[in-house]
Amino acid sequence: MKTFAKLFSLLTVTGQDIRTTGDAALEFLAYFGDVFTPINFGLLLIGTIGGLILGATPGLSPTMAVALLIPFTFRLEPAQGLILLGAAYTSTVAGGAVSAILLKIPGAPANIATTLDGHTMAQKGQGARALQLSFIASAVGGVFGVLLLIFLTPMLAQWALAFGPSHLFWLAILGVTVIGSLDSSSVVKGLLSGCIGLWLATIGFDDIMGAQRFIFHSSVSGGINVIPALIGLFAIPQVITMFAKDRRKLDAEVLTVEHHPIGGAIREVFKRKRALGIGTITGSIIGLIPGVGGQIAGLVAYDQTKKMSPERDKFGTGHSEGVIAAESANNSMVGPSLVPLLTLSIPGSPTAAVLLGGLLIHGIFPGSDLFDNHPEVAWTFINSMLIGQILMCIFGLYVAGLAAKVAQVPNAVMAAVVLGLAVFGSYSVQNSMGDVYVMMTLGTGMYFLERFGFSAAPLVLGLILGPIAEANFIQGSMIANATSSVGQYFFTGPLNLALIAVVVVSVGYSVWMELRHRRYTTKDDAVSKEEALS
Amino acid sequence: MTDLPRTQHIIASGLVAAVGIAVTYISFTQEPAAAFLFPRLISTVFAVLALWTFGKALLGRTKVGNGLSRQAMANILPGLVVALVFVFWAARTLGFYTASTITFFILLSLYDPAPHGEVKTWIKRVVITAGFLAVMYGLFAMLLNVFTPREIFF
Amino acid sequence: MKKLIAAAAMALMTMTGGAFADGHDNFPERPIMLMVSYGAGGATDFQARIVTMTAGNEDALGMPIAIINKPGAGGRVGWNWFATQADSDGYTLGAYNIPHFIAQSIEGGVEYSAESFEPIANWGADPAVFVVAADSEFNSMADVVDYAKANPGKLTFSGAGLFVGHHIAALQLEKAAGVKLAYIPNNKGGAGAMKAVIAGEVLGGVNNLSDAFRAREAGNVKILGVFDLERNDFLPDVPTMAEQGFDIDNASVNFRGVMVPKGTPQPIIDKLAEIVPTMFENGRVAGKMKAGGSPMHVMTRAEVLEMWAAREKTLKELLSGL
Repeated sequence: MKTFAKLFSLLTVTGQDIRTTGDAALEFLAYFGDVFTPINFGLLLIGTIGGLILGATPGLSPTMAVALLIPFTFRLEPAQGLILLGAAYTSTVAGGAVSAILLKIPGAPANIATTLDGHTMAQKGQGARALQLSFIASAVGGVFGVLLLIFLTPMLAQWALAFGPSHLFWLAILGVTVIGSLDSSSVVKGLLSGCIGLWLATIGFDDIMGAQRFIFHSSVSGGINVIPALIGLFAIPQVITMFAKDRRKLDAEVLTVEHHPIGGAIREVFKRKRALGIGTITGSIIGLIPGVGGQIAGLVAYDQTKKMSPERDKFGTGHSEGVIAAESANNSMVGPSLVPLLTLSIPGSPTAAVLLGGLLIHGIFPGSDLFDNHPEVAWTFINSMLIGQILMCIFGLYVAGLAAKVAQVPNAVMAAVVLGLAVFGSYSVQNSMGDVYVMMTLGTGMYFLERFGFSAAPLVLGLILGPIAEANFIQGSMIANATSSVGQYFFTGPLNLALIAVVVVSVGYSVWMELRHRRYTTKDDAVSKEEALS
Repeated sequence: MTDLPRTQHIIASGLVAAVGIAVTYISFTQEPAAAFLFPRLISTVFAVLALWTFGKALLGRTKVGNGLSRQAMANILPGLVVALVFVFWAARTLGFYTASTITFFILLSLYDPAPHGEVKTWIKRVVITAGFLAVMYGLFAMLLNVFTPREIFF
Repeated sequence: MKKLIAAAAMALMTMTGGAFADGHDNFPERPIMLMVSYGAGGATDFQARIVTMTAGNEDALGMPIAIINKPGAGGRVGWNWFATQADSDGYTLGAYNIPHFIAQSIEGGVEYSAESFEPIANWGADPAVFVVAADSEFNSMADVVDYAKANPGKLTFSGAGLFVGHHIAALQLEKAAGVKLAYIPNNKGGAGAMKAVIAGEVLGGVNNLSDAFRAREAGNVKILGVFDLERNDFLPDVPTMAEQGFDIDNASVNFRGVMVPKGTPQPIIDKLAEIVPTMFENGRVAGKMKAGGSPMHVMTRAEVLEMWAAREKTLKELLSGL
């Protein structure tokens, strides 16, 4: 507490100086002290802890957590309301890693990539280590993202606008290319899983023309919502897997969690510079682009790190680079994802749209109005996200210490709890029984498909990317038909060409790796690898 | 025993292939064509890949996935039936909280390894169930204000 | 044993929940839900949250109203659900957007029409406006139409989707100016359509007055005309389309309000119709709406019924020409 008081006085003093000198680049420092007033700091704590809990609960996505907090902000000052919302946004994204690692159930789409190595680590008894790595990587990525927001906002805003329909289309295609290489066990089944996801995404009314497609049951008339699908595809197979375990051997099946020193985890995160760097940068770039959002940042960063790592064969077997890349990416996107909102008043993601509502309700318009007329609101909010990242990390590390307790919950109890949460969570997305039916149907199907080598991660990726690819292709070709030609619209311009190049390299690399893998892998290797995976 | 996974693989990939073909057929016969451009593309790739997988399963060349042992199937069955009844019938008919409490208790009784004969076991199960209900109610009804369908008892 | 649990659960619930009601005198006895068929953070969602924030006051309904979002396909998903699956017990309200749902029901392929719903009250009227990027060479609607005449079918402009207010405005503009335009519907609603204008992906756009007002405050767009009968208080300097020589009425003005499904008991409809408009007129609500740049327009049930009927007639004429 003493340290806080000291820090506070230090910051207020420097703050006063800058306030009077008016150095624009360091303006954020002037409002640093405002974060540490008792009420603001209290709200930051509540938002962070609450966000971690909500984020760790399967089925409660960051968007939902923020939307549910909006009514509480009615009674608060604008800056205070935003502190609460910002802290909750930051820590729900990171909190999703807890269930991703311990239960293989990602708290939100952003945490899918974390399950790939994080849960495998937990199965080996390294749950505490995986959680520590994920929270430290999250904090590093998150701080970097917020610093980008503070220093490069005007430049980033121009960047964010540069992505039109054709570029978003290519970006979605880039995401699709990840599908094949995501799951190391079988490329064909990975692609097939992705195709099933892409097809599931077309169910319902099509978004632009309003035509009905594949509505074979009233539950899917609104299309398949990503959150219930995510809950079903990950949580239900886990529940059924717990049923499948032999009751008598139960004690032996409980996960063990070995103690892991925090210092070791910190050293490890900073030693893995490649994973941390790729994760943070990929996350920041993808987070910035309106309409793509953080949902795929983790997966793309994971895939890129895997391709560039000399230890790529270790990915999927509990490799620390996988966790670090995925988690640094999904938290570094938080800061940049607010750039289009704060500067241009364009919400780039559903969560940003909800934050916009939180600003408007106090009569504050994002854009120049916000920074010129309400700097104390803008900067207190941004600063609180910076401090929030660190608080999130501290509480996250504390949670990691509790992981051993979660792991000791008997299978029977865990199965029943997860089933209950899955039903309530998918229902509460839009109060729809249909979503619960969809969740259960997809989940049960996924359990059996997983037994035969299909996997949930590419399926969800397909479900997320399908609508982005389709809507942007149709919009792009409508614009192209009116102005130039489709070919010219999609295949010319530096940004299009750069994205196409990345897609080609990504596909070519996967094919090359697959061929090389086949040539050098003897039958014995294949068998032992399969055993390691099962 | 060695043939069981192979048969299962054939059935599973056969079902997926059947869905793929059905979806492709539907997407090519529906109008307006503009709205079905993407579904046609995706479902064609879907069907081709599914047939490939099916072919590999028929030839017994499937490399990944271990299938399900008879023991595992026997273990899953009661729990899965309870879960499906809960989701597709009880949640709506009895109300979310009532149904999930009953389901929770049944699952606990089915899969908890503690001996069924002792009073202590049952007390523990009741306490855990009550605790679960309290947490769910606190989180969803009180904190998050989620509107669940009306309960049968209240 | 199970009985014991059920009894315990019941005891727990009765402590916190309410009791059954046979008559409608005590309505509402539990919180009410308001379905919004657009995503959280959109203009309709934002306004619905503000106008219902005083519902829990004793002089209003005495029970809070919670917003439930069912977005998708320009509102079709939510309204289909509301017409076919929502309980008609007065505890499930829906937000309507005129002309959207009427235009969609005329176009077909949905399970609702104006006859599926009973209006309660109207809270807002958000006219469509024509926007161009701040650095655009267009400075008036005449410039826009001249360009379109010189380049038929090449003037791209964005809007929130097909058969929503923006599309109606676009059709009216094409008809009144006698030109062919390229309307590009956006799948991300008004916010996505506005981004397309600011980023220069399209040459112009039709958008909500409230969103356009905000974008102009941020220095991103110019507003060239209002698709309404008279100028708006938020934009006193922007002329209407009629002032600029185009015969366009207020058919595209986005009226937002509250409705219930057909079949809701008449006493409940009457009670809601009496209380809800006074709730909208609350001073705090009006203050927040004005601060958020959202134009208010409170109408009673009788007025809304009349407005719905008039709108349906106009839209049928307009859309029959397609």
